[in-house]
Amino acid sequence: MSVRPAATLDLLPRDERRGTRAMAQFIATEAALFVVLFFAYFYLQAVNTQWKADAPPKLTLALVMLVLLLASSVTVFAAEWFGKRRRVLATRLALLATWLLGIAFLVLQVFEYRDHLRVLKPSTDAYGSIFYTITSIHGCHVVLGLLMLAFAGLLHHPDHEPEPPYRALHNAALYWHFVDAVWIVIVALLYVLANWSMR
Amino acid sequence: MTSDASSEERLEEFWRTEHSLKGVLGTVDHKKIGKRYIVTAFLFLVAGGIEALVMRLQLARSNAKVLGPEAYDQLFTMHGMTMIFWYAAPILSGFGNYLVPLMIGSRDMALPRTNAFSYWTFLLSGLFLYAGFAIGDAPHGGWFAYVPYTDARYSPGPNMDFYALALIFLTISTTAGAINFLVTIFRLRAPGMSIDRMPLFMYSTGTTSLLSVLALPALTVACVFLELQRNWGFHFFDPASGGSPLLWQHLFWFFGHPWVYIVFLPATGMISMILPVMARRPIVGYTWVAVATVLTGLVGFGVWVHHMFATGMNTLAMSFFAAASMTISIFSAVQVFAWLATLWHGRPVMTSALRFALGFIALFVIGGLNGIVTALIPFDWQLTDTYFVVAHLHYVLVGANVFPVMAALYYWFPKMTGRLLDERLGWWSFWLMFVGMTAAFLPMHVTGMEGMPRRIYTYPAQMGWDTWNLVISLGAVVFAVGVLVTVVNAVVSRRHGAPAGANPWNADGLEWSMPSPPPSYAFARLPLVAGRHPLWDEHDEFADPLDERRLDDGRLTFATSAVDGVPRAIADMPDDTLLPLLLALALTALLTAVLVKALTLALLLAIAGLALAAVWLWPRQFAEPVA
Repeated sequence: MSVRPAATLDLLPRDERRGTRAMAQFIATEAALFVVLFFAYFYLQAVNTQWKADAPPKLTLALVMLVLLLASSVTVFAAEWFGKRRRVLATRLALLATWLLGIAFLVLQVFEYRDHLRVLKPSTDAYGSIFYTITSIHGCHVVLGLLMLAFAGLLHHPDHEPEPPYRALHNAALYWHFVDAVWIVIVALLYVLANWSMR
Repeated sequence: MTSDASSEERLEEFWRTEHSLKGVLGTVDHKKIGKRYIVTAFLFLVAGGIEALVMRLQLARSNAKVLGPEAYDQLFTMHGMTMIFWYAAPILSGFGNYLVPLMIGSRDMALPRTNAFSYWTFLLSGLFLYAGFAIGDAPHGGWFAYVPYTDARYSPGPNMDFYALALIFLTISTTAGAINFLVTIFRLRAPGMSIDRMPLFMYSTGTTSLLSVLALPALTVACVFLELQRNWGFHFFDPASGGSPLLWQHLFWFFGHPWVYIVFLPATGMISMILPVMARRPIVGYTWVAVATVLTGLVGFGVWVHHMFATGMNTLAMSFFAAASMTISIFSAVQVFAWLATLWHGRPVMTSALRFALGFIALFVIGGLNGIVTALIPFDWQLTDTYFVVAHLHYVLVGANVFPVMAALYYWFPKMTGRLLDERLGWWSFWLMFVGMTAAFLPMHVTGMEGMPRRIYTYPAQMGWDTWNLVISLGAVVFAVGVLVTVVNAVVSRRHGAPAGANPWNADGLEWSMPSPPPSYAFARLPLVAGRHPLWDEHDEFADPLDERRLDDGRLTFATSAVDGVPRAIADMPDDTLLPLLLALALTALLTAVLVKALTLALLLAIAGLALAAVWLWPRQFAEPVA
């Protein structure tokens, strides 16, 4: 047997990218889901000239919720940054901040629903149906994203870490950014556009 | 340094599946899962076939009384759903599961537990659907379930709820499987297998998987809308409240047409693997075939409206979709001519596999031609909803799915079992199927042009359709006998067939480099690929002077870069586990709870499912590398 060089293939590091690749595909299929939902929204708008409830959803609260989610994208980015540097406490605090912002978003959504349901119900007309379907499916994604972040945060312990950077947190963060991005589109299409065209 | 024999013993120790109940229910071995997929999908084919035969008994003559209208509606709906959703795509996933890792020189799929989960959800969603059949409330609105027939006003009862929930369930399975294929193809190819050296089957499976990832959400959304409208007072499809029945059709066909390619492209990929081997030469126009495959998938997103030409739309939009539909035929023609040129320049050896491949080409060309005429809008207005369309879709689906699957079975059965299928029975099976197919579906063009509508459960004698319908029914029986011959062939040959050896066809692919059936770890040494036809070229893929490609310290295989196949890391694979089955069972219970509207229970089951997912994702102890 000849002398083995220092870097043979069997000494390569462990693969950590399959999960990230799978998460990217999962986000792609989720994005397609929202594209289809927006298609349905505009299709229903195109076949109607007038909705029963003549009041577009209130813009202010949606923008506040947007600010919350954008801030949470920053905090989750910070969590990852600390995580890569193995600063456990800072990571956990940044994740906690993300969590609080996400919970605040959900609480505001409940308030918004309570207010909005007085003028518009899912059963009022097709507009009510699609409005509540899109926003509540997004709400479910927020819940799922928070659970992922909580899971990654619980995992985040030096004893559990095979190699830095820590991939579970990275994958959960990717999903969280996606959930935030969807809300930007929802605010633009379902809130801003609706108020603007009513003017 | 360990010897080769002790290294293989170590590998077997790591990779084998226990001979126990836990082993059976918990295996994550892609070879076992692939075979299960194939057998299960085949059983669904038999179920769908029996449904078709009962319908043909009813339609064999005018005013027959075998089935009433409701029973007939349930049967044609179940036939369509079974064949399209639970046979045609899953059987290709089965071959893909078995073959993709072996063809790219990997020891398993990228996400083995997800792979097991895909299988269990596929099986359980099928059983969920058939539970509706068993209690007499099967879906009865056609496989495309057009509203308003399928909303609660015209279809009370749980029939269409079974439809919507079973399909939502199946999309979970298919999406998980598609993600797995994509990650596998782009991460686990053997060192040196750059994308221009991939077997063409990877292009077709990869394209199909991308279509699944992007198109299936439309079906999910459509089914969610349908459930919300049927049971919870929503109004997506109800014109009185601002909805539109056409919204269903758009959503359904936005998914539905890509699905046609999902059940067809992997089949062409298998033909591109089989036909060159039987013609004894590399395929002509590898790059053209690869590009045509990908483009078929991409342009396939722009053709869905051609299912809706009769709904009344503006001419410009319709012309666009007609043109896009015709463009697809160019890509299909590229593939067909590449196969013909391969045969022309090769020295074809006539085997059952090649015979089925040739039968596929003939039927597929007919199905393509009668498809082109239905893309002509005025012609389509005449023929839509007649038996002409039934003829077209069966030429495409049977011709371009069942025949290639048969070719694949005759070709890869020896690899899976170590035994060859009987060639004489293969000859009988092929000719019975081909003649039966022609007798069953060619006359449908005529009855269609004579105006016989689809989905009618009977017809009066004075229409003059009796003779052709009798011929069609007899053809269906002959076709079924042909399938049965191959089933018998497989059952007998599995034990008593001639031993196959590692490479009975002198083929070029990596899957033929190992004994048949393959050991649990597949490759004793992982290959280093230097060309498109590993076993035909001069390069020895398994030469390993540095002794670095055994990876016998655990369930390990190489992870490589997506384009060039440069080794980047070592992928550590999970052990067998019951979690995928448990999660699939939790999902079944969840959907059953939704079906009976037990929402609190559904919420609890969702939480249970999330808890299982958390256990699943908890980090495994990585096997310590032995440095």
